[in-house]
Amino acid sequence: MAAARRLIGFNLLTAIVLGIGGWYAGWFGAHAITGPSLDWFSAADYNEVSVFMAYIGGVIGFLAGLGFLNYPFARLRGYPPSLREKETGGWSRYFSLCTDHKVVGIQYLWGIGLFFFIGGLNAMLIRTELLRPAHQVFPAGTYLTIVGMHGTMMMGMMSSGILGPFANYFVPILIGARRMAFPRIEALTFWLLMAAGGILTTTIFFGGFPTGWTGYPPLESQANAGMDCYILFFALVGISMTLLGLNMIATILTMRAPGLTWTRLPIFVWGVISTASLMVLAAPVLIATLGMAAFDRAINTTFFVAGGGGSNYLYQNLFWVFGHPEVYILALPGFAIVLELLPVFSRKPLWGYRLAVAGLLGVTLLSWMVWQHHLFVSGINGDLRPFYMLSTELISIPTGFTFICGMMTIWRGQIRFTVPMLFCLAWFFNFLLGGLSGVFLSDVPSDVTTHGSFFSMAHFHYTIMGGLIFTFFAAVYYWVPKMTGWQLNERLGKIHFWTMFVFFNSTFAPLFALGFMGMPRRVVTYDPSFQFLNDWVSVSAFLLGISMLVFLFNLVWSLAFKKVPAEANPWGSRSIEFQLPSPVPVHNFDRIPVFTDDPYGYGEGPAPQWVVPAGAPAGRE
Amino acid sequence: MSAELASGDAGYEVLEGEPPEVLARNLVTAGYLLAGATAFFFVAFVFAFFYLRSIDSVSQWKPHGVDASIGWGTAIIACWVVSTVLVRLGELDQAADRRPQWRLKGLAALLLGLAGLVLQVVAWTQNGFGPTDGAFASVYVGWTAFLSLFVLLTLFWLETTLATSWRYRNELFGAAEVPAGHASGDPDRTAHDIRNPVDLNRAELAALGFYWTFLAGVAVVAWVILYLVA
Repeated sequence: MAAARRLIGFNLLTAIVLGIGGWYAGWFGAHAITGPSLDWFSAADYNEVSVFMAYIGGVIGFLAGLGFLNYPFARLRGYPPSLREKETGGWSRYFSLCTDHKVVGIQYLWGIGLFFFIGGLNAMLIRTELLRPAHQVFPAGTYLTIVGMHGTMMMGMMSSGILGPFANYFVPILIGARRMAFPRIEALTFWLLMAAGGILTTTIFFGGFPTGWTGYPPLESQANAGMDCYILFFALVGISMTLLGLNMIATILTMRAPGLTWTRLPIFVWGVISTASLMVLAAPVLIATLGMAAFDRAINTTFFVAGGGGSNYLYQNLFWVFGHPEVYILALPGFAIVLELLPVFSRKPLWGYRLAVAGLLGVTLLSWMVWQHHLFVSGINGDLRPFYMLSTELISIPTGFTFICGMMTIWRGQIRFTVPMLFCLAWFFNFLLGGLSGVFLSDVPSDVTTHGSFFSMAHFHYTIMGGLIFTFFAAVYYWVPKMTGWQLNERLGKIHFWTMFVFFNSTFAPLFALGFMGMPRRVVTYDPSFQFLNDWVSVSAFLLGISMLVFLFNLVWSLAFKKVPAEANPWGSRSIEFQLPSPVPVHNFDRIPVFTDDPYGYGEGPAPQWVVPAGAPAGRE
Repeated sequence: MSAELASGDAGYEVLEGEPPEVLARNLVTAGYLLAGATAFFFVAFVFAFFYLRSIDSVSQWKPHGVDASIGWGTAIIACWVVSTVLVRLGELDQAADRRPQWRLKGLAALLLGLAGLVLQVVAWTQNGFGPTDGAFASVYVGWTAFLSLFVLLTLFWLETTLATSWRYRNELFGAAEVPAGHASGDPDRTAHDIRNPVDLNRAELAALGFYWTFLAGVAVVAWVILYLVA
C-alpha cells in the first residue's frame, strides 16, 4: 500500500492529471445520462448538467490526486483518526496535502497571490478598454466577462486573503498551540480555493459571464455556460470559507495555552474570531443561493424565474444576506492587522483594548442588519428603507471604535516608519475616505443618485483595496521574514508603498467625481466628456500595477537571490511568535507556554508575558 | 527567550503525544459550529419558501395538483428521527462502556438513515410533480435534495465512528494502541497521532450525536413547512 502511494505520488501534478480526467469523466457521464450530444463547446450552452458534472468530477479528481480521499476511505474501513500528514520533508510539502499549519499558510500566500495577480491583470485590461469612449479592444460581452472575472476573483479569493496565509500560520502560535484543530480541513480549504480559481479562469472557454461579481438573475438565468463556472467558483469559495472559519473558531476556543484568557488574547486573534464567525454563518447562505441558481440552470427549477413563480429579488436578498457580511469578512482582518501592528511600531500599549474588541464584535453583529441597503433602488418596500439606512449608518460607530483605538495608540508614541507601519498609516487615510463615502451610499436620497455609478465603485475600492489590500501588505512585510527566515528589502518596500499609495489614490479618487457626473459601472462605452478623467485613471491604474511589480520583484529578489537571514525578532515585538526562531520549527514550541501577561505592554518593563513550565514533559499541555 | 520556547534541533517525534481530551474538545465544538452553519444554509430555503409564497408570482407558487405526499414525507422523517434517537441511546451505552450494545444501535441507526434516503428518492418519483412545476416545487426539490446530501454525509460520519468501534472491538477501554502512522495515510510517518482510538470514539459519538439530532430537527422543520404549512 505504501509503495503504491509513493508510486502515485499524491501531489499537485497527480492532482492536475486526475482533475482533467475527472472533468472528462463527468462530462461524458452526464452526457450519457442527459442526452446524446457530445458536441463539446458548441453544445455547452444547452448542457448545463454536463458542465456542472464535469467540474464536480474535476474537483473530485483534483482532490483525489492530492490524497484527500485516502483518509476518508481509511476511516470507512475503521482506521482511527489521525492528525498529521507530510509535515516533515522538503519543498514537495508545498505542492501536496500537508497538515502543518505553517506550510498551509505559505501555500495560501502564494496561491492567493497568483489569483490576485490574475485579477489585477483583468483590472489592467478594463482600464485599457476605458482609455477611449468607444469600443477599442474588446467587444461589450468580453468586456463584461473581464469585469466579472476581476470582481469575482478578487472578492472570492481575497475573502481568505488574511485569514488564509496569516491566521493559518500565526493563530496556533499566538495561542500557544502546536496545530489547528482540524489540520486536514485546514489543508482542504486551501486546495478547494485553488480548484475554485482554476474553474473561474476557465469560464472564458464557455463564453464568460455577463453579471459582474453579484451574479444577478435574470441575466444569470439567461447567460451561457460560463455562468456555471461562476456558480461553482463561488460555491467552492463558500465551502472553503465555512470550513476555514469553523476551524479557526474551534482552534481558538479549545486550544489556547494555559493563562491565555480572553482579555490577554492578541487583538489579531479577536479579529480572526469576528471574521470567522461571519464566514461560518454567512457563507452557507451563499452556497444555498448558488445551489438554487444551479438548480434553475440545470434542472429548470424556478427559484429566480418570475414566469415560473420565482423572483429575481429573492436572489438579491439572499445574495446580500451573505454579501454584506462578506464586506466585513474582507475588512475586519484589516482592522485587526492595524491594531496588532500599531503598538509594535509606536512602542505603546494598545489603547482601549476592550473598546477595540467591542468595535470588532459590534461590526460583526451589525453587519447582519444592513443588507437591504443594496436594494434601495430595486423597488423594495419604502417603509423598510429608514431602518436599513439607520442600521447602515450605525455601523460607523463600532468602526469608529477601531479608529479611535488606533489613533490613540500612536498618539505621542515613538513611531517607527517601517514599511508595515506605513501601510497601517495609509489604512487610516484610505478607510476614512471609504467610510465617509459609504455614508452617501447608506443614505437613501444620495444612494438613489449614486447607486450603480463609478461613485459606488470608488467607495468599495477605497474600503476593500484601501482597507484590506494595504493591510495585507502590512502583514506581508511584517510577518514574511518570520515565515520564511529571510528579510524583505526595506528600500524596495518603501518604493512599493509610496508608489502604491500615490497611484491608488490617483486611480480611485477621480472615480468619485466621475460617479457624481453620472458615469455608470459596467459599460464599455461612455460619454466623450468623461474621457480626460478616464484616461487619468487608466494611466494611474497602470502605474499602480507597476507598483505591484516592484513588490513582486522585492519578493523574488529577497527570497530567491539576495537572501539575508531575518533576525528572530526584527521589530522588537513582545508578541510570542517573535520569540521563536525564524522560520518557526515544525513543532512550534518545545513545551507549551503559560501566558502570564497581555502582549502589548510596551514601555512597561521587559517582563515576559509567558513562562515555560519547568520540568513539564515535552508535548504535554 | 527563543531557546526556551523552541529550538530548531528538538526532535519532532519526541514532542508529540497530545492528551486525548484536546481532540475531544475540538470535535464537540466543531459539532456545534457545524450546526450553526447548517442552520444558516437551510434558513435560505425557509426564506425562499415564505418569500415566494407571499408574492405568488403569476399564480405559479403552487399550481393545482402540486402537493408533496405527506405519507412519504412522514415516513422519511420518522426514519431519520428514530435513527437519531438510536444514536443518542448508543451514546449512553458507549459512555457506560456497553460497547456491543452501542454498535448494535449504531448499525440500526445507520440502516434507518439510509432507508430514509431511499424513501426520499422514491418520493421524488411518486409525488406527481417535478422541479419545473412552479415555485413550491422548486423549493421542495431544492430543500429535500440538499437535506438528503447533508444526511448522507452525516451517515458517512456515523459509519466511520461505527467502523472504528468495530475494528477495535476487542480492545479494552484505555488500553488499545495502534501502530505508529497507522491511519495518517502518510507512508513516511513513524510517530503516533492518537494512541488510543477507543478513547476518542466517545467524543466522536458525542459530536456526531449532537449534529445528527440537530439535522433531524431541520428535517422536522422541513416536514412542518413543506407538508403542513404548504
